[in-house]
Amino acid sequence: MKNRIEAIRKEKGIRQEEFAKAMAVSRQTISSLENGRYNPSIMLAYKIAKYFDMTIEDVFIFDEEDVYC
Amino acid sequence: MKSERRIVLSIAWVVVGAVLIGLGLAEVIDAFWTGMGSGLLVVGILQIIRFNRYYKSEEYREKVDTEIGDERNAFIRSKAWAWTGYLLVLILAVSSVALRVVGQEVLSTAASFVVCLILILYWGSYLILNKKY
Repeated sequence: MKNRIEAIRKEKGIRQEEFAKAMAVSRQTISSLENGRYNPSIMLAYKIAKYFDMTIEDVFIFDEEDVYC
Repeated sequence: MKSERRIVLSIAWVVVGAVLIGLGLAEVIDAFWTGMGSGLLVVGILQIIRFNRYYKSEEYREKVDTEIGDERNAFIRSKAWAWTGYLLVLILAVSSVALRVVGQEVLSTAASFVVCLILILYWGSYLILNKKY
């Protein structure tokens, strides 16, 4: 699933390390999320959206094609 | 980290290991058990060193807690176990045929039994998890 994590994070001037610490995950996890290599659980997705003060839909881009992967 | 239980377990490994080594040196038990005792002793000591570092260094504690709580890490661990199991079944299945071809019938039968056992365990686990989730 595509997402806007990297763009939003950079827009807000947050470093990956700082963001990882706030989400209680490793920096590699943030990197994998940003590259779209790893899809987060609903809990982490919610936590990320809440951290950015946005909705899940604002951060994660739902693509019908992803459902059939 | 369920620390207290793990510390007690680590101390138990050290004690059991030391007892086994002692019995080995007194020639009460054979080298197999002494070897196992040495292994337990080393594992126990390493665990105790890790716990000590965990409690003394905040930086290390944060690193360990993040590693344990990281959902991607948990996903990778689970996936790695799944791959390991799958590869093990494949290797054993191929080995059972190869061993039969070279005339090692006992080993071939043992490998086939292990494959069956793993598959039974898989289905058992699947049924339990299917009910749980």
